[in-house]
Amino acid sequence: MPKMSLGNRQPNAARVAVVATGIVSPLGFGSDETLDSLRAGRDCISRVTRFSVDHCRCHTAGQVSDDRLANAAARSLRPERLHRVAQMMLIALTEALGQAPGFQPELSVVGTTSGGMTFGEEYYRGLRGNRTSERSAPSLIANYAPQKPIMDAQEAFGITAPCQVIANACASGTNAIGHAFHCVRSGRYERVLAGGYDALSELVFVGFDSLQASTPERCRPFDRERSGLVLGEGAAILLLENFNSAQARGAEIVAEIIGYGMATDNHHLTQPDPSGSGPRRAMEDALQSARISAKEVDYINAHGTATPFNDAAEGKAIAELFDGVAVSSTKGMMGHALGAAGAIEAIFGVLALQNQFLPPNINFQNGDAGLNLNIIPNDAQAASVRTVLSNSFGFGGTNASVIIRSIDA
Amino acid sequence: MSLGIAGMGWVTPLGSGLTNVWNRLRNGETAVAELISSPLGRSCPVFTVPAGTIAPAPMHPRLRRSSAISRFAVAAGLAALDDAKLKLDTETAARTALVFAVSNGGVIYTRKFYHDIVESGAQAASPLLFPETVFNAPASHLAAVLGITGPSYTLVGDGAVGILALKMAEDLMLSNTLDQCLVVGAEEADWLLCDAYRQWRLLRSAPPVEPFQRPPRGTILSEGAGAVVLSRNGSVQLERIVAGTNFRKQMEAGASVDKIFSELCEGDIGLVVVSANGTFIDAAEQAAGARNCPNAPFLAVKGALGESVGASSLWQTICGAQSLRTQVVPPSLLSPKGRDISTSGSGKIRRAVVSVCGLNQQVAGLRLRQD
Repeated sequence: MPKMSLGNRQPNAARVAVVATGIVSPLGFGSDETLDSLRAGRDCISRVTRFSVDHCRCHTAGQVSDDRLANAAARSLRPERLHRVAQMMLIALTEALGQAPGFQPELSVVGTTSGGMTFGEEYYRGLRGNRTSERSAPSLIANYAPQKPIMDAQEAFGITAPCQVIANACASGTNAIGHAFHCVRSGRYERVLAGGYDALSELVFVGFDSLQASTPERCRPFDRERSGLVLGEGAAILLLENFNSAQARGAEIVAEIIGYGMATDNHHLTQPDPSGSGPRRAMEDALQSARISAKEVDYINAHGTATPFNDAAEGKAIAELFDGVAVSSTKGMMGHALGAAGAIEAIFGVLALQNQFLPPNINFQNGDAGLNLNIIPNDAQAASVRTVLSNSFGFGGTNASVIIRSIDA
Repeated sequence: MSLGIAGMGWVTPLGSGLTNVWNRLRNGETAVAELISSPLGRSCPVFTVPAGTIAPAPMHPRLRRSSAISRFAVAAGLAALDDAKLKLDTETAARTALVFAVSNGGVIYTRKFYHDIVESGAQAASPLLFPETVFNAPASHLAAVLGITGPSYTLVGDGAVGILALKMAEDLMLSNTLDQCLVVGAEEADWLLCDAYRQWRLLRSAPPVEPFQRPPRGTILSEGAGAVVLSRNGSVQLERIVAGTNFRKQMEAGASVDKIFSELCEGDIGLVVVSANGTFIDAAEQAAGARNCPNAPFLAVKGALGESVGASSLWQTICGAQSLRTQVVPPSLLSPKGRDISTSGSGKIRRAVVSVCGLNQQVAGLRLRQD
């Protein structure tokens, strides 16, 4: 089958710099707190209190502190209408623009699976006489839409770029970074804002629970006894710029995106092809796109949801393509942030490159005998890291991989 | 790089079939509204896709439990490929990308799924419904039916999302590993949407939809799908796509729409296909048109087809392309008898602008050309 690589074989393809990042997740607000948590292998999973989980198998999630989110609202022109996830995006964009003041993207490409879903839930409950919100129905309706958080964040900073919001399930964040990379690499765009966001919602939480995809225990990616995922939430932004332009204006370049691959697996709406063909094609395509061999990858931030199916398929594909590369899933620490995961984990990759360490795969006790993987168990490890590959796979057979390289490589 | 529309297909409240629906629009027909009742004791007129319209679509196993939005999209997508005379085999499917535009997505199943949670608790939630609630479920089904294994993106947004999808497709086609991109926009109707848009004061209680009526009296929601195949040798060229900016409040839409018009109304514009739908959008487009394209007739298709949000800008694009192909402009409020350009003596129309202003802050547009 012909290999699919997006915009990567043109002879004069532009290099793509990451000039700033911003992040909010259960691991912390901003890169410094996130780095501390990653290095400590911090378990940031806690019991869900936002809605009742009494009748669910799973009772926990990775959650972002509401107290700290409230401070972000002040920046917005209409703070009372902001959804939690819009507040997360606002904080992430504040951090990113603090690193790259005056950055005006020509395009914004972000990923999400459900945007302001809890506003939709509040609206529906209000209709059923089960009102849980003080907000008016029109406000809930207008601000429920999945594209609103990025538009709200842009509005706070006077950014007027059109917003393409990708909803490719759990691959959305990586798809967004990948498409933004493709846009800058093609030479058609100089500056693109990329990222992802998602917030915990009852509908989605119960949805994964109904599928028995989420676990009542700890999230144990790639462990022999793994039993499912734990959900999370957050927002992350990467500002991408033509490398030469960024250098010319003296911008600080934090990393370089060098490759992207995506593949569609038509096996089943919710389950991956057990052969691992989807993840494999996405990773192969990313390597081709980056024009590097598998052995040049130092670390893989796996999708690693800890579901039996995902980890088996992804693990098989990694083992087939790579020879003993260091692998970890960071979802044990913060849960699966769905549409935000790919963007959050790309920033984890940037932090690994900047600080020369491998984030840990916590809750790991025994490897799965069927998976021949070099898992970084439980504790972060110092390492020479020049190239990171990050995976995200989702419902609907979406598979995406992005490769990030240190500027010192 | 020059891209063109190689094929088109749609499923609309006036039926399906490119020529069939176009002829009905040419004849001045308007969709018939169905009253959708809600358990809240209210009913709402909606332009629905007539029963039997998508019966010829293949019953692929993936569509067995899918919602209407997926079936609309598959039917429209297959029709567009057929119009492009393109049969996807393993090799051509690998060189075909899919970009899918939605606004409200699988709202019927989402509502049912959450209803069970609210009424009976989480333990009643159906694992059969949940997967169909994800925004990219329809795209996934369509990719499976067509055998597309490469790039597949679902974009969410308001009524402008279809143009944003075309813009994404244009950017994807910069890759020499793709020969064509199938762009689909789809929407399904549900009483919950009606209630939401009614609360938002955007709906009217009964047809007709009257674009440009002062004061605006509201719109009627509709459902269906539109699909275009973009390739490097399509007959109707995509001369320019403007992804647009976002406006903060409805009263500020005019400035954003004006910017779109100013960027697209260059050269001799023979037609503007507008998104006027009986709401605040109408005044914005009328003012922008008067300033930037004062001599071009307006075609307001939502008067006939209603407001289909995720599908709407694909329908508008198809109407623009059909007008160029056939040299006929269907009747609309500003041109009640329509215009057969070929007999009007005014010369061929070579360029058409499609203006899209969404109900929730997004604007976009494109310009088509056929020599």
